[in-house]
Amino acid sequence: MTASMEAEDLYIKPGNQERGWNDPPQFSYGLQTAAQGGPKRAPLNKRVPPPQLTGSPCPVSGNSSTPMIPFNPLANPLAPPPCSTNTPPRPCPVAAPPLSGMMIKLATPPRACPVVEHTDTASSQSECEPDVEDVITHLNWALTACRHTVKKQVCDDVAKRLKLFEEMWNSGKLSLPVRRRMIGLAQELKSCNWDAADEIHRALIVDHVNEVSQWMVGIKRLIAETRSLNPSLLHTQEVDSVLETNSTVNSE
Amino acid sequence: MATYQEFIQQNEDRDGVRFSWNLWPSSRLEATRLVVPVSCLFTPLKERPDLPPVQYEPVLCSRANCKAVLNPLCQVDFRAKIWACNFCFQRNPFPPSYAGISDVNQPAELMPQFSTIEYIVQRGPVTPLIFLYVVDTCLEEEDLQALRESLQMSLSLLPPDALVGLITFGRMVQVHELSCEGIAKSYVFRGTKELSSKQIQEMLGLMKPTASAPQGRPAAPQDPAAACRFLQPVHKVDMNLTDLLGELQRDPWPVPQGKRPLRSTGIALSIAVGLLEGTYPNTGARVMLFTGGPPTQGPGMVVGDELKTPIRSWHDITKDNARHLKKATKYYEALANRAAVNGHSIDIYACALDQTGLLEMKCLSNLTGGHIAMGDSFNTSLFKQTFQRVFSKDYKGDFRMAFGGTLEVKTSRELKVSGAIGPCVSLNSKGPSVSENEMGVGGTTQWKICGLCPSTTLAMYFEVVNQHNAPIPQGGRGAIQFVTQYQHSSTQKRIRVTTVARNWADAQSQIQHIESSFDQEASAVIMARLGVFKAESEEGPDVLRWLDRQLIRLCQKFGQFNKDDPASFKLSESLSLYPQFMFHLRRSPFLQVFNNSPDECSYYRHHFVRQDLTQSLIMIQPILYSYSFHGPPEPVLLDSGSILPDRILLMDTFFQLVIYHGETIAQWRKAGYQEQPEYENFKHLLVAPLDDAQEILQNRFPMPRYIDTEHGGSQARFLLSKVNPSQTHNNLYAWGQESGAPILTDDVSLQVFMDHLKKLAVSSAA
Repeated sequence: MTASMEAEDLYIKPGNQERGWNDPPQFSYGLQTAAQGGPKRAPLNKRVPPPQLTGSPCPVSGNSSTPMIPFNPLANPLAPPPCSTNTPPRPCPVAAPPLSGMMIKLATPPRACPVVEHTDTASSQSECEPDVEDVITHLNWALTACRHTVKKQVCDDVAKRLKLFEEMWNSGKLSLPVRRRMIGLAQELKSCNWDAADEIHRALIVDHVNEVSQWMVGIKRLIAETRSLNPSLLHTQEVDSVLETNSTVNSE
Repeated sequence: MATYQEFIQQNEDRDGVRFSWNLWPSSRLEATRLVVPVSCLFTPLKERPDLPPVQYEPVLCSRANCKAVLNPLCQVDFRAKIWACNFCFQRNPFPPSYAGISDVNQPAELMPQFSTIEYIVQRGPVTPLIFLYVVDTCLEEEDLQALRESLQMSLSLLPPDALVGLITFGRMVQVHELSCEGIAKSYVFRGTKELSSKQIQEMLGLMKPTASAPQGRPAAPQDPAAACRFLQPVHKVDMNLTDLLGELQRDPWPVPQGKRPLRSTGIALSIAVGLLEGTYPNTGARVMLFTGGPPTQGPGMVVGDELKTPIRSWHDITKDNARHLKKATKYYEALANRAAVNGHSIDIYACALDQTGLLEMKCLSNLTGGHIAMGDSFNTSLFKQTFQRVFSKDYKGDFRMAFGGTLEVKTSRELKVSGAIGPCVSLNSKGPSVSENEMGVGGTTQWKICGLCPSTTLAMYFEVVNQHNAPIPQGGRGAIQFVTQYQHSSTQKRIRVTTVARNWADAQSQIQHIESSFDQEASAVIMARLGVFKAESEEGPDVLRWLDRQLIRLCQKFGQFNKDDPASFKLSESLSLYPQFMFHLRRSPFLQVFNNSPDECSYYRHHFVRQDLTQSLIMIQPILYSYSFHGPPEPVLLDSGSILPDRILLMDTFFQLVIYHGETIAQWRKAGYQEQPEYENFKHLLVAPLDDAQEILQNRFPMPRYIDTEHGGSQARFLLSKVNPSQTHNNLYAWGQESGAPILTDDVSLQVFMDHLKKLAVSSAA
């Protein structure tokens, strides 16, 4: 996982229950890659032998040595669950479950990442509206650097897709997470962190394919072409002037 | 001394091997009396982060019919620079590069911790991986849109230098030229006419224009420039292919009322196989079929286009009323075998609510090590994530896929190889160590596994051939060597060698030792694979009878009892779980077709005969964990007695994850106690199984279905149909007690099953 992957890029959204029965939840790219390399919890793969072979008369449900909670759901349709606090339970007309020994901590470590139903809520924390000019400036800088060695047709194709990206951004068709992550991608590209930029591109296309599928491939290609350029081509006067022109445009 | 459990775990971690017996009976007769054969589950490419591959070629035994690889079990004379093969006892000089070898300067392959070692060998030119998408366009728009997006997304997940190709099909089959410039062109084929491989190659222009090739020499296909038009590096065509995929339209031919769309799956696949056969034989390649319904025309059709004729059911099959079944199966088997010969694997991603013909097409994946994923729609998280995970990477950033594997097994003289069960085909390699007693795919010591991943696991069966009353074989132990050659996802050629040995034991004087060396988990899976293998060709009831007989014999052999006294029957710890495994296996969809369509059974069996031990065992007997206020989550019996009001249960059947809230828990949840700060404990209790389920969901391939239900919920049936029905409407004494949930079923419970088993095992008449 890249450092630029933030907590709000790690999320789970529900599956498509309309199209698939019991469709499982969908994990974001970040969560998925984290799971691939990350440490695993102890797997749940233990079994207990049946009592028929060990002499016990009837099936035991788990650890028979733990005392059962003496409640009776038939007589008491809804006694409250055991409290977390150590204070005695509130007076209750029916026998409340005992509290002692109820504080055993469950053997589940705290969750490493917040699980949200959707990114939009989480990403609303991002303070300021990302600026498309910043992103486009960096992308154009890379494209200009490519113009010298990469085939014109490829560059034009990339340019076409950058244009589409810009239009979609300006017409409000891109969600905040996409816009925010594109800022990160452009910065990584500008800093020549090719792997990081590539990883953000991959995360974006996995998590937001319906928004980005048309133009993201141009960015993918741009990253691939720029990384294979001779580094000296990245900072010629002409190339750097792209940054300057754009920044003057911005300041106007 | 370590316990057998520790020993078994160490061996699995190091060598990816689990044997049914960890002491081997020293004679053929005694071996047959043990019921469960000497056999193992072997995971050839088990992930070993601690095992860096070595960059040289393995040293082979010089005897022509042996060629075993130098390993830690070989006797070495460091002064004479000679090693003795532990399989054929041939004495071999070390090659010159080993001149510096000595007691204190040993190569890795002689050290005991390298009983498994991997060699990187470089032979011939490096060829990129190949991915050929074969896409059904007879889909609903929503499904097609989701599929387009998944395919576009996959271009970002493929290795950049991989070659990619696209074939689409509906009524016609289109092979798309992928060029970086100009107008997209495609070759169109009729979906009804069977073409030979040569015809396909000619029509695609893959043959060199030397039509009058000198006789005796086949016209050389493999015109690389021509192949290029259809298979291009991803990094060159990604933009055009993205557009091409984005513009994919639904099959334009009108589908009249009451008809199915005409789907030429058979021809599309034969073109895919033919294209790769002609251009990249013996190179790692994956054909990926995405289909939304059954093949309805041409060779390989599974059902006609009349909607009023439903696709075959089990009932039709047993009544011999499935018109297309045999012909279609034969057609796909022939295709599968051609792909296997060329080392190409075929995946099937079938998403539809009705059956899609997996029963007929399964061999495409089963014989070539391809994946099968089955879902309701391409627009589901189940499909999307399963597909993404095909391209998952390991701890080193390498793709978890390998190609063109061959597995060769060498044995010491007292053992012969009976066969293998897994996603492989026989390479018909005869030799002295081939057993006549075939189990699974036998008659060979080599198998081809066209597609592998780190969890791909084969069951290997052996025969002890040492004669009764003969002394324990020389050296006191027998050895087996597994040599797996494959193409790594980095395109390197690699050879992984695993050499294992186990002690021989005299089954008469050391039967207790042999018994304690029994690996009941491995044995359950190994016997289950035999059962599933038999079920493909034999009647269901016969397979169940065979399994029962094996179980009874095993209990007779190892149970402790007084004759004709069932109550006295006992099994030792090393066998205590085994009968329960067999009980659940009998009820599983691998052997019971009731309530499962032929496609579903094929799908379940496909995964069962390739997963590793842990996953296979989950499929046989689902895991059930109970969450309560009493302590940490604990495993409980897969039994209706475990369904208690104040528990949450998490059940993992491999294909489904079920979270079940007991009656009281469900009421508490409904009342919203989890929202109140003083009941934070309850909130934690609710979250705990969700967390555990999440971990399973994140790692499982294919993605399982996910069911969150509660007492009385309609989906609780997924749990109720799996647990042992120890309380039913028939044994009313359990009612009214807080001891579980009665199940309305006439199925036999484990208790009844065990009572019968004991009775039969102790019977002097048996």
